[in-house]
Amino acid sequence: MNRRALALLLSAVMVLSACAAEPDTEGTTTTNSETDGTTGTTGTTGTTDTTAPPVDATGGTARIAWGGSPDSLNPGNGVLAEAYTLYELMYDTPIGLDLDGNYVPELATDWSVSDDGLTWTLNLVDNAVFHDGTPLTSEDVKFSMELWRDTEDFPFLPSYPDVFTIEAPDETTVVLTTEEPIGNFESRLVFMYIVPKHIWEGESDPVAFDNAEMIGTGSFTLAEHSQGEFVRLEANADYWAGRPNVDEVIFQTIENPDARVTALRNGDVDMITELPNTAIPTLESDANVEVISGDPLAPSLTDVFFNIVPEELCPPEDGVCSGHPALKDLEVRKALAHAIDKQQLIDVALLGLGTPGISLTPTGLGDFFNSSLEDYAFDLEMAAGILEDAGYVDSDGDGVRECLADQDCEDLTFRFNYPNDSDSAPRETELISGWWSEIGVATTVQPLDPDTLTSVCCPTFDFDVIRWGWGSDPDPGFLLGAALCSEIDSGFSETGYCNEDYDALYDAQAVETDVEARRDMIWEMQEILLRDLPYIIPYYDQAVQAYRADTFTGWQTGASKLALEDPSSLNVISPAG
Amino acid sequence: MAASRRRFVTQKVVFAALTVFAVVTFNFFLFRVLPGDPAVGGMRDPRLSPERVEALRERFGVDDPVFLNFEDGNPFESQYFAYLGALSNGDLGTSYAFRDQQVTTLLGQSLVNTLWLIVPAQMISIVLGVGLGLLAAYKRGTRVDVAALTFSLIMWSLPTFFLGIILLFVGTTWLDLSAAGRVTIGAQYTEIWDQIGDIVSHMILPTATLSLVLLGEYMLIMRSSLVEVLGEDYILTARAEGIPRRQILRRHAFRNAMLPIVTLIALNLGFTVSGAIQVETVFSWPGLGHLTVDAVNQRDFPVLQGAFLLLALSVILANLVVELIYGYLDPRVKGA
Repeated sequence: MNRRALALLLSAVMVLSACAAEPDTEGTTTTNSETDGTTGTTGTTGTTDTTAPPVDATGGTARIAWGGSPDSLNPGNGVLAEAYTLYELMYDTPIGLDLDGNYVPELATDWSVSDDGLTWTLNLVDNAVFHDGTPLTSEDVKFSMELWRDTEDFPFLPSYPDVFTIEAPDETTVVLTTEEPIGNFESRLVFMYIVPKHIWEGESDPVAFDNAEMIGTGSFTLAEHSQGEFVRLEANADYWAGRPNVDEVIFQTIENPDARVTALRNGDVDMITELPNTAIPTLESDANVEVISGDPLAPSLTDVFFNIVPEELCPPEDGVCSGHPALKDLEVRKALAHAIDKQQLIDVALLGLGTPGISLTPTGLGDFFNSSLEDYAFDLEMAAGILEDAGYVDSDGDGVRECLADQDCEDLTFRFNYPNDSDSAPRETELISGWWSEIGVATTVQPLDPDTLTSVCCPTFDFDVIRWGWGSDPDPGFLLGAALCSEIDSGFSETGYCNEDYDALYDAQAVETDVEARRDMIWEMQEILLRDLPYIIPYYDQAVQAYRADTFTGWQTGASKLALEDPSSLNVISPAG
Repeated sequence: MAASRRRFVTQKVVFAALTVFAVVTFNFFLFRVLPGDPAVGGMRDPRLSPERVEALRERFGVDDPVFLNFEDGNPFESQYFAYLGALSNGDLGTSYAFRDQQVTTLLGQSLVNTLWLIVPAQMISIVLGVGLGLLAAYKRGTRVDVAALTFSLIMWSLPTFFLGIILLFVGTTWLDLSAAGRVTIGAQYTEIWDQIGDIVSHMILPTATLSLVLLGEYMLIMRSSLVEVLGEDYILTARAEGIPRRQILRRHAFRNAMLPIVTLIALNLGFTVSGAIQVETVFSWPGLGHLTVDAVNQRDFPVLQGAFLLLALSVILANLVVELIYGYLDPRVKGA
């Protein structure tokens, strides 16, 4: 009955469009062969091999499905990763960041710093042209950087060029001066999208400018955009660094992860930028599909942090500072660190897709990640021993250890919160609570929505333990700033951790222009954080993407970071021969 | 007669207008009770410094008093009166999450997409639901009735997203239908039929899902309403007079039995504007429900206010229309 009714209904739908039934199948075939680009015609018979296109064939439309959609075409307003993907394709920046974490020339062919470390000189390419035909000059660079610097209502970009005074002495030279030497010069330029001065200077309120045409100098031009639905790009035939091989790239929003996976398997799309870990086995079994994992383009970490704000530093305005007294004891935190099996957490909660974490600097940050650190080994016996030695004993036999006499608490029962918008957090907190209970530490677990979590977190410090996470900037400086004494009142510090040595190192690295010397300081800061344990970092996230091997070739999969939607791939992919 | 009719209409319209005002006010305060800061919108990024947040709050005006300004000067310099003022000029404001987009633009696009989905679905489900209900009532007690009833009950109680996912799987695996979106993006059509075919192949699954879910309710109401009417004395009288069953059904029973269905259809038209959310999510349809859910997550007050106003308006308008139509369908309502 059920099936018959369904068939009845389906035919009713068809009847609505009367004779459209036949063209329907035709329409589908037309679009399918278009997806295949030039392969559709040559792939049908084996004898046409001689006429097969050369290896780096051009043409074709690469179709990409992603789960979200860009929130703004205006680079100043963008917040979501999808928006930045578009900026990277449509705009150029003075300095680029490659997928191995190296800073590489883009619009700037080279750059140098004066001996006092205060003046940076960039030489620009002389053949970059905006999509509307106007040549790019140093005036555009100056204008753009000042635009991002001075428009305080842009959420992210102003924090990069805020230290610079910008001059354009001639058409291909830009001079940036700072008041103090800066250690992270290159990272401050990788998001400095250069927009055309002649279009933007007329906008009195750049935040309200929708930038619907996205005129830039990038390798693609914007052809069509439908909010929340799709973005269609065309190759910029006049791109100064050489045109992409494909003719078109289409980003389609498919929010439902299963539908995204299905679209890839059916050949409706050629690549998907994200997929649920549970879909990996199915996709791997598909001969035409390749599944890749790696560090995400924007490295991110999951953290478990403790409220250890000292009483005297409790924020005077917002502070509640109700943290459990025992957590201020380093021995307790050490025991808790020994009682988390990071690898098992990754295997169970993430189906293996993660890298065990150690500090606030993820592996995706290349050399800045301190690879010499040794983590607290998972050892429940040792963890219990540490608590025992420190005097925390379960005297009433209820399975939970009692507090020390001089602490204002009864036993080691901690509030444990996590954000309810995370898929894996429930499983993770369950595992962690399980291990902790084995060493006599109890938890009351409660998920909170992110806004409520913020309101108990910081700067109120009305919590004991929180499992949350951070997205990282390409430069480690931003995230390491979360452990500064000076950030306790601002709410950026989520632990209340305060250590003068750490702060001194932070200040020193910020003005150190020698790459090696700065890296050493950043390594030392990670070491201090691991020793003092304001944070336990269970893991760094890994990205998973998948593409069809039978439609396009040349996807860049060899780098440490994975971003097939990046220009590094889209500029070079070509139809499979 | 004409005077009482006019009074009836005026009364209903005034009441609808008052309801709209109440809804506007209620929604305004409702969203502001939510915890969280629209300037942050659930974001967690070290680059979003306290200074940035402050600047954004100022831009959005959320640092002003909510209802009455007790601090300085004009007590009406508050978010609420600023909103009412803008609203009276037809200005719904600028989105917080899409900082360079007008709310009216966002709502307009989404509403068109939603209508594109729900209008065919409603039409199909009304025709099939009412038809199936008629059939079941006419063949009451037979196997046809039991089967139709079971089918409708199952469809009515099936969660929308579940049915959607099942149909998605079936449609994409065996029927080669499109998994997402409204059209094949960037496709070049040689003929208008290609384009229609493409649109239809994208519409079948979401429309079928929504139709099936709505159909059950229409069928059940139609059936029980008709069964009740068929049990009335005047039907018995008509049968005693020897009027053929078909004619009784068409002339005497159907019109009366349609009353509850008209109510239901009107109410549903109002609600389905928002109610297609699950279908929109499963099939990546960029409609109104979708926009609303995103706006809740990001505390995008202007979009929320606009969307809820639109929903309220559609429900209130649908009700108004029903009340007026009732006057024609059922003469007893006119005087009341």
